[in-house]
Amino acid sequence: MAVDKVIEIPVSLEVPIGPQHPALHEPVMLKVYAEGEEVVKVEVNTGYNHRGIEKLVEKNSFYRNIFIVSRVCGICNIVHSNAYVRAVEQVMGIEPPGRAKYLRVLAMELERIHSHMIINAIMAEVLGYDTLFMYIMRDREKVMKAKEILTGNRVLGDYLMVGGVRRDLSEVDRERIKDVLIKLEPEVRKYIRVFEEDETIGKRLRGVGVVKPKDVTLHGLVGPTARGSGVNIDARREGYDAYGEVPFNIIVRSDMDSWSRMMVRWHETIESINMCKYVLENLPSDGPAVPDETKLPRKFPVGEAFTRVEAPRGELTYYVMSDGRQNPWRVKIRTPSFNNIINSGFSYIGYTIADVPVILTSYDPCISCMERAIVTDLRRGEKKYVRFKDLNRGLK
Amino acid sequence: MGKPSLLKEVLKWFIGRPVTIQYPYEETPIENRFRGRHFADLNKCTGCSLCAIECPADAITMEKLPEEVSVPKNPRRIYPVISYGKCVYCYRCVTVCPFDAYITTNDYKITGPARLYSRDYSLQSVGGGAQ
Repeated sequence: MAVDKVIEIPVSLEVPIGPQHPALHEPVMLKVYAEGEEVVKVEVNTGYNHRGIEKLVEKNSFYRNIFIVSRVCGICNIVHSNAYVRAVEQVMGIEPPGRAKYLRVLAMELERIHSHMIINAIMAEVLGYDTLFMYIMRDREKVMKAKEILTGNRVLGDYLMVGGVRRDLSEVDRERIKDVLIKLEPEVRKYIRVFEEDETIGKRLRGVGVVKPKDVTLHGLVGPTARGSGVNIDARREGYDAYGEVPFNIIVRSDMDSWSRMMVRWHETIESINMCKYVLENLPSDGPAVPDETKLPRKFPVGEAFTRVEAPRGELTYYVMSDGRQNPWRVKIRTPSFNNIINSGFSYIGYTIADVPVILTSYDPCISCMERAIVTDLRRGEKKYVRFKDLNRGLK
Repeated sequence: MGKPSLLKEVLKWFIGRPVTIQYPYEETPIENRFRGRHFADLNKCTGCSLCAIECPADAITMEKLPEEVSVPKNPRRIYPVISYGKCVYCYRCVTVCPFDAYITTNDYKITGPARLYSRDYSLQSVGGGAQ
């Protein structure tokens, strides 16, 4: 029998990257479809780290929740509690004194420094540059020490409370933190030079994972990811806490690639160091930063509040609703990684499989921040993602 | 980064001490105000249970005091016992206590099967409990 037709099937390979993978530090699954080495489609699957924090928050009192929302994300715990505490303060009509506001800014900026340093270290590790990873992590430890001096713990600060902060800063500790920051700055400038001039880093990062400004606005990307593409958005501009009084520049770069995003983070680190120094030098003493916790009001008025904070990864928003009882009626959290990771599937297309971890790391993923509900219908065996709007109306 | 600056860095750490700490043999430097192990001082505790109500991790349970222990002011004879496995070390109990009854330390070495609860530490504060 003679052959009269040839059927040619284009081979596309499905490569699951994650949820456990040496190149990923977070439990996320990227289902990569590739033709040869080239990526043609990426599906971002999450759901490996869902803990039901929003429901847990509804079951606990307003004051206990400050510590629960801190545990949404390990690295950016102070910004989470800051957004929540400011929302509760708005509901209750409490205004913290200036000293507390400055100390909050100091804690948040120290957090931004160590968050940006760890993601740059991880980027160096993903590139195979383990020596640089070790060096950056060594210097990050100095910031962790500064945070320990300020808050009492290296990572989970638990520093905020309604109406102020939980511990004051003494003169001796102020000098020690300033000393840490003065020692840190030349190190950070050295790493900026390494990222700018090293050939390997340039080859792996430049021109990889290009996100155009149009894509940023179309997919709602926030934070350094947006600023690395030339979009000038920053929630700190709103001037919450003491950000209206502390001078700072918003770093925007227009290279649009992974390298640009990492450089935005490095220059923001320098900016944060300067902000911390300014706060330490100009700390007002207008009132007690630490209110008496036993005398805080026990009754909560009916009301709602919406706050936003610039977390290290982008804009974080909290919506808190009170119906006059001890527990909040609803707390809605929208984290920056939720926008940046789930919506970023488009940006992998056209690059090679080896570039996928690099592009993902350049978005600074924080998976525990962004887990949302998946509803599984056990009778029909169906799975579907549910939006909050629909979840509020009730499940069908 | 040019080669000379790299060489300087290499020489510096070739001569200098390593950054890593040989942990069990060497102590990790820790702040005095670090939030470590804490327990109730039974000389001050009145058994009001406010810490157990306010604990965000539900790590505190109120237990009956043993018969032989005598405490100055505790009409209901109950005291808080912290489960260190559950505790998140936020020190909410410390700040919320109306009688400042909590003793705080910067002891961070809390792993291991022994002393998982604050029971013995609290009883020792009034001269009881296992030594």
